This record gives sequence, structure tokens and C-alpha cells, in this order.
Amino acid sequence: MSDLNYWEPGNLLEAVSILANLGDQVRPLAGGTDLLVKMKKGPINWRGIVNIKGLTELKGINYEGLTITIGALTQISSLIENPLVRIHFPVLVEAARSLGTPQVRNLATIGGNLCNASPAADVALVLLMYEARLLIIGPSGSRKVPVQEFYVGPSQTVLQQGELLTAIEMDLPPLNSKGVFYKHGKRKSHEIALVNVAVLLTPQPGTKQIRARIAVGAVASTPLRIKDAEDSLTDSLATLSAFEQAAELAKQAVNPIDDVRSTASYRKQMVGVLTRRALVEAWGGEL
Amino acid sequence: MTPISLQINGETYLVNVPIKKTLLDVLREDLALTGTKKGCDSGECGACTVLMDGKPVNSCLILAVDAVGKQISTIEGIGGIMELDPIQEALVAHGAIQCGYCTPGIVMTAKALLDSNPHPTEKEVREGITGNLCRCTGYVKVVEAIMDVSRR
Repeated sequence: MSDLNYWEPGNLLEAVSILANLGDQVRPLAGGTDLLVKMKKGPINWRGIVNIKGLTELKGINYEGLTITIGALTQISSLIENPLVRIHFPVLVEAARSLGTPQVRNLATIGGNLCNASPAADVALVLLMYEARLLIIGPSGSRKVPVQEFYVGPSQTVLQQGELLTAIEMDLPPLNSKGVFYKHGKRKSHEIALVNVAVLLTPQPGTKQIRARIAVGAVASTPLRIKDAEDSLTDSLATLSAFEQAAELAKQAVNPIDDVRSTASYRKQMVGVLTRRALVEAWGGEL
Repeated sequence: MTPISLQINGETYLVNVPIKKTLLDVLREDLALTGTKKGCDSGECGACTVLMDGKPVNSCLILAVDAVGKQISTIEGIGGIMELDPIQEALVAHGAIQCGYCTPGIVMTAKALLDSNPHPTEKEVREGITGNLCRCTGYVKVVEAIMDVSRR
């Protein structure tokens, strides 16, 4: 088989212009933990690699006011080690720690976890829960897309030819909120989730009322926010029956598949179990 | 073919490589550094673990052209010809080696772990080596060996 073409663009503009001109014939290389595996498994219908690792515009973690901006090339291990991410986005750290192995986490990037668009992606699921916004740059300028609107299907995103995800932006979650992330698999490490669940529960000050965000993965063609389940909890009291009802709605909302790792019916069942469990843990108090 | 220069164990190697050739294959086939093992070739098993700028990575998931400018450490750079690194000594002493195929990867991972965290808990050791599969030892002796080094 013939060799590939290769570019190492020195800046973002150059990278976008190469990607815009060559489109489907090339692939951007970030962490490479998925791209290289696909390349070896083959057959591939592309002919070149655009190595974007050198783009400083896509690096770094910055805080401004109540907003954090994380460069798309930030390695999963750097997320885990960042003190401010650990304090303000503990659930993101937990999801990051559950991804792959230490060796993979030293290579894989947060942008890659999003753009690879696996329905089971752990980090992407938590970004959905934190209502992250994605900064995208392309030949016709820049735009900002909520994670919720980023996915089209398995391995498919709204990215157009020549567009690159440059950074992820998130507001600090509500002050008294508590998040929980569960990854359900057969092993403790190096696992792809059979089901993953992320919830964020915010008690309303001075009351027993709550607001909830519920996101589930690996049970539909994209990671999902379960609006029906969230709405059922809006301003409701934190009770076990309210959590059970929300979990049942989450279970009804998903549409998993059978595959080598699990069955559709088991996954659906576990969405109910894990959502209830996550809500109870996030509440943390008496029920 | 693309001419590149790689920094491995403190030495400079000049080599011509195809773009799609991984660092692992270049180490083994072009540079005869066969201490680094090829297991799954897809980032699962950790047999190919090398250190890149001090951090453990799967050399099967890195293009050789992409390793230019990085400091690469392989098992050949650990210990000396007549002396073992303390990690290697401990693995031998604890019987943490059977077939030995995973061992170079485990040594590299343990080295990075202990360099950044000289006195890890057992849990940290277990988590630290989750990316290195061993089908012989059941990990108990490997964990004991690394803990032993950390206590020295």
C-alpha cells in the first residue's frame, strides 16, 4: 500500500486552508489514539494526515470570570492534573480518569474525544452535562456550538469541510450543585462504557426543591440529555419516588442497540438503575 | 520516505521512514531496539510502552514522524549493561516475571510512576499499571515489586 501525505501546519490559518482544500482526502491528527487504530485496521479512504499537534492556538486551559476555556488539544491527563479543573469540574476529572489507560490518556485529547463522536464517549458525556460550548474555526470564520447540537450520529458531527474544533468553553456549575458520573462496564479500566450516566443536581436555596441535568451515553446514536426526566424533577421535592420516576422516564427515552459488549434490553434497564442511583448520590441527603 | 531525527535514550538517530510507520516499528525494525515489544498494536496491551518527555505512552499509537523533537526513553536506556535498575531488580526478586513479554512496558510505566510519585499507595500503583496487560503473573507480584522499590 502506498504511503500517506503529511502536513505539519505552523498555524491555525494554514491548517484550516489545508483541510478546506483537501476535505475528505485527509484527516486531522491530534492524540491519534483513534486515528492510528483506524489507519491500521483499514481499509482507509483518505490519503493524508494533517498533524495539528503543533497548533499553539489549540492549547492551554484558561479562566476568565466564571468561564473556563480548554484548548481542544488538551490531553486527558492534563485535564486530570489541572488544579482548577479538579476544583470546579470534578465530574469531568472523574470521566477523564475512566478513559482508556494512563498511556492513552497521555496522548488522547479532549477535542478528539468530542470529534470522534463515539456515542459512548465519557468525557463528551460530562461536557454535555456541564452544557459546554464548542468553539469552531473554519474557512468561513468562527462559530460557537453547544455540545448538545454538535452530534449528528455515530462518528458524525456538525463540523463542515475545513472546520476544526479549537476549544471548549464552560461556565462554572451552580455553586451548590453536585454532579455524579457513572461508567458501567465489565472492567474497572480500559473499558468502553456499556452505559454511562452523568447527572447534576442543584438544590434550590432554602427549600427542598431541586433542578437536575441528566445525560446518558452508549444508549442512542449520540450522547443524550434526557429532557423529560429533567423536567419531571424541576422544582419538585427531592424524594425517592421523584428520582424513581425520573429514572423511569430516562429509561423510556433511550434507544440502545445489541452489540458485542451488551444487549439493548440490558442497557435500557441499566439506564433506569444508574440514573436513580446517580440522583440519590447527587442529592446526598436523607430521602 | 521522510528523513527524520529521533532522540532516543539521549542519543540522536537519523532514519528514513514512511509517514505511516509507527514509532514502535521504527524502534524495532529500523533501529534494532527490540526491547520494546509489539503486542496488540492498537493501544490496548501496553507492551510497547515508552516514555515520551517522561510520560508513558503507547509507541504503537505514535507516528515516528510525530516523535521528532521529543525525548524518547526505551527499556534499553534503563539500568546498565552489567547493572539492573532497582525496578528491574525488584521484579526479578519478587518473581514478577514469567514469560517476560510485558516486562519492558511494565518497567517503563513503573519508572514514570515512581519518578512523578516516589511513594505511591498500592491503589496508585494498581491504577498506574492498568495500561499494562500481563497474562502470567496476575499482577500481585508486579504490584509488590513496585511497592518494594517505593519503600527503598
